[in-house]
Amino acid sequence: MSHEVWLEQAEVYALGALDEDERGGFEAHLAEGCVICVERIRETSDALPLLARALRQEAPPAALKTRLLEAIDDDEDAIETEEEESATLPVRRAPRWAWWAGWATALAAAGLLLVVGFSLSKTREELERLRGRVAILQEELTEREATLRFLSDPKARYVSLAGLPASPGASGWLLWNPETHQGLFLARGLPPAPPDRVYELWAIATSEPVPAGVFKVDAAGRGFLRLPPLPETKTFDKFAVTLEPAGGVARPTGAMHLLGSL
Amino acid sequence: MGPVPATEAVELVAQVARGDREAFGRFYDRYASLVFAMALRLLRARSEAEDLLQEVFLQAWRRAATYDPDRGNPEAWLVTMTRTRGIDKLRSRRRREERIRPVEDESPADQGAVASGADRSEAKLTVMGALAGLPDLQRRVLELAYFDGLTQSEIATRLGEPLGTVKTRMRTGLERLRGFLGSASGASVS
Repeated sequence: MSHEVWLEQAEVYALGALDEDERGGFEAHLAEGCVICVERIRETSDALPLLARALRQEAPPAALKTRLLEAIDDDEDAIETEEEESATLPVRRAPRWAWWAGWATALAAAGLLLVVGFSLSKTREELERLRGRVAILQEELTEREATLRFLSDPKARYVSLAGLPASPGASGWLLWNPETHQGLFLARGLPPAPPDRVYELWAIATSEPVPAGVFKVDAAGRGFLRLPPLPETKTFDKFAVTLEPAGGVARPTGAMHLLGSL
Repeated sequence: MGPVPATEAVELVAQVARGDREAFGRFYDRYASLVFAMALRLLRARSEAEDLLQEVFLQAWRRAATYDPDRGNPEAWLVTMTRTRGIDKLRSRRRREERIRPVEDESPADQGAVASGADRSEAKLTVMGALAGLPDLQRRVLELAYFDGLTQSEIATRLGEPLGTVKTRMRTGLERLRGFLGSASGASVS
């Protein structure tokens, strides 16, 4: 088969329109390391957003921006609020206060009703806030559905990562789908990262590391990460975790804590 | 080589990655219209497009730290996220609909998409006037793949045309698209 045919398939592959029977063969060709096809995929991928730019632009309703900015505020507040609440719930531990708590709740509800009654704008604000929450919940639901689909895919492979001298007691496991380039990563036993540092996962294709997401660990040293989309043109065979400056970096600079091979 | 990444936009993403809310507001202002246009075209339903827009920007906020300029400019990053999520939604919608009513094609009038009259008259407003010059059939094949997530044989079935014809049109369309890139990459949407 002439290479011209592969090049044609490379373009269609970038567009995501290659039929399944051709896709397998083309990916095998890519896996042989054809840089010409990789370059053609990149050129085509760069050109595709032009189709989006050719659409008639339309500004979204202004309320969406407000909602979004509230949602990102809520995004962090939600975690803090949950912690505060769980720390201050004497009612559950002391049932004799339950009666008072009931009254307190009733009074709070009555107070809330009054506030709502007096101020319609408050209600609107609350509605906007709830819409923001709904957007976040929808986002989470979509992610969970994607996770379930991913977990049930028979092509997913298990990669075990072992602790290195920087964290000999740590371990990690990665569920990696080499076809879709999606992955879920769990780590445990890692030391807590200093405030200005994060752990960064690397997917390594023939000794070239590609950033695969950053994560923090809880007090027990556990961390979780759903990998961002990784370049489908690369064949990753190793995965590693390093400690890096907050926000992550494009190339590893810090000590390596975990390493594993496919 | 791809388009020269707009360094200012790349810096904006870096600020967002550091949790700068004000920068996120500017990032939103810069790209919201593009993402919304894309979402509307993908889902063809206003409320769903609004949800998709929110989800894409939330995702951008959460994953800004993983953005890699080597893999494309911020615009391409956002457009790709919008397309991936939008097509996911389209596919799950199709699966839901298939369970309810097995076969129902879109009306032919609904398929022309971007090339509809209103859009054509607005085409001069976009820097991609040249793209509007793409012959309708080539353009339609590209759109069915890009915006509707169909493969070549699905497109052939949808259009009732031989697979070979679809392949030729797609190839010619993509060639022209790549050709436009050189002249368009420096320009910006007003």
